[in-house]
Amino acid sequence: MEILTGNELMSGATVYLDRDGHWVEGLQQARVFLKEEAEARDAAIAATKKTMRINSLEIETVTLRDGVIHPDRIRERIRAEGPTAPRFDRQHLDKDGHVSI
Amino acid sequence: MYRYDEFDAAFVRERTAQFRDQVNRRLSGEINEDQFRPLRLMNGLYLQLHAYMFRIAIPYGTLRSKQLRKLAYLARTYDRGYGHFTTRTNIQFNWPKLRDIPDMMEHLNEVEMHAIQTSGNCIRNISTDQFAGAAADEIIDPRPVAEILRQWSSLHPEFSYLPRKFKIAMIGAPSDRAAIKFHDIGLKAVTNDAGEIGWEVWVGGGLGRTPMIAKLIRGYVAHTDLLAYCEAIVRVYNRYGRRDNKFKARIKILVHEAGIDKIREEVEAEFAQTKGGVLTLPQAELDRITTYFAAPDFERVNATQIDVLREKELDPAYGDWLERNLHSHRQPGYVSVTISLKPVGGAPGDATDEQMEAIANLAENYSFDELRVTHEQNLVLPHVRVSDLREVYDTLVENGLATGNAGLITDMIACPGLDFCSLANARSIPLAQEISRKFQDPQRQRDIGDLKIKISGCINACGHHHVGHIGILGVEKKGTELYQISVGGDGTEKAAIGDILGHGFVADDVPDAIERLVETYIARRESADEPFIAAYRRLGDAPFKEALYGAQ
Repeated sequence: MEILTGNELMSGATVYLDRDGHWVEGLQQARVFLKEEAEARDAAIAATKKTMRINSLEIETVTLRDGVIHPDRIRERIRAEGPTAPRFDRQHLDKDGHVSI
Repeated sequence: MYRYDEFDAAFVRERTAQFRDQVNRRLSGEINEDQFRPLRLMNGLYLQLHAYMFRIAIPYGTLRSKQLRKLAYLARTYDRGYGHFTTRTNIQFNWPKLRDIPDMMEHLNEVEMHAIQTSGNCIRNISTDQFAGAAADEIIDPRPVAEILRQWSSLHPEFSYLPRKFKIAMIGAPSDRAAIKFHDIGLKAVTNDAGEIGWEVWVGGGLGRTPMIAKLIRGYVAHTDLLAYCEAIVRVYNRYGRRDNKFKARIKILVHEAGIDKIREEVEAEFAQTKGGVLTLPQAELDRITTYFAAPDFERVNATQIDVLREKELDPAYGDWLERNLHSHRQPGYVSVTISLKPVGGAPGDATDEQMEAIANLAENYSFDELRVTHEQNLVLPHVRVSDLREVYDTLVENGLATGNAGLITDMIACPGLDFCSLANARSIPLAQEISRKFQDPQRQRDIGDLKIKISGCINACGHHHVGHIGILGVEKKGTELYQISVGGDGTEKAAIGDILGHGFVADDVPDAIERLVETYIARRESADEPFIAAYRRLGDAPFKEALYGAQ
């Protein structure tokens, strides 16, 4: 299973593509693409690139446990929650930082 | 300190205006990220895991109070109230917004600072001795020549797209406090047979995935010829350095593959062409730049012996601080003071805006307005009267900056690691915090003595783990952070690359592993006067391997 993630242009904040085509802050809102949804995933990537507002666009593999999304890589778990030391809240989107496809 | 002339000032203003336009064009969609990325990187703006990271140059690690106050202002206004001092003696802000960067640059320009060449395949910030112009053992203050090299290397039209980044370090004293043998070019002040001071030139050192100790390429280069000689080296590198493989693109690989004799031959041939030409450094120009670095107006006072033992009895923490955080000054009655940015449980190299303000005030009131950043991620007040030490210390205590641990086990280098860096494979800062908690007892630290731990969160080695007496390298294996431990590295004139002792440890086990190494050292040292690194050289790695992995 995969999700799409990136960093929003204005704030650099970590964002995820949700089921409605919005790029949002919450990992748990991310749309999970199954193996057979590669075409939809690639279409979403192409549409996102057209916005020019999401940088470092990546496909991340995840595991679903009891409906909760767990990124497979440590890096992604830290990206989702913010630095562990010193503990800082993650970066948030500005008012004009909302991107949709 | 060097002051901008009208050309410098106009240039940074123009660069800021140019970048403001580039940001606006990016935000409006006129240019895309592929077009914008090289432009932002040229101005020190990275995109990391959580946000943008803005890296600001601190040339040869020298700051005035006004500049540090400006950095505090930027931290407070545009970031999250702190900054991170780096091993390249720069400062990074981890949370700025893209649209604020041009404003931040304008603020920097007001105090003669910028972020140019803090990224990219160009000549980066030149680093030097944090005690330059103050150290008792100094042959020459390297900063005037560092400034001349900075001017030569800034926007050098031929060297803006080198095969890879290029780092120069220089030292004006026999003790290498700038790790020159782990730089692309390392310069060490020496005296020739005629008694003239010039530069011994080392080339091809570096850390990263292929650590190399630099090779001596020329025993003596006069000031007059230094620019031409450096130009010859970088030109040869630019011509022959590999561009087919990023991991083999540094000059250290070229020197290693071609051999130092071949590289020397090429450089000398190039030098023969450039020597005596436009790059000849006139003595008058060297003298002019040197005036910017003239010694402050020191008070004539008698040399003052500090009775550390007595002070320790009266106030142990103050006594410990005096013992560890002072460095001998060439001027009688003065010392250089290291301000540790390594409190127990802290993030190495971080300072809050309030701490930066307090340190700026100290520099203004007690150190002739001067400050230094060290490659070991501390700050230095270079010129403090011995009679002012107590007042300086008390102010540091008030601001959480009086940790008396310079050079001790808790004075660790750590890169930002996987908590911030998009290249990292493992976290560094939490590990440094846990190790410092493990060894937080000041008496225990003193019993252990000089010991440098350096931690990197990936093979790029920003935390200099290869040259740690104990080095720690974070890797990721099957979704877990693992840490390889090496022993025996040394970044000084006795340059050495540490030996990896064996398989890696999970994070929770690393502090105990470090403790076993330390206990092995204490059990086997000849006396408390034999430091860890000397004991390692005498004993070899066998007892340390056994401490970690049992008898083989």
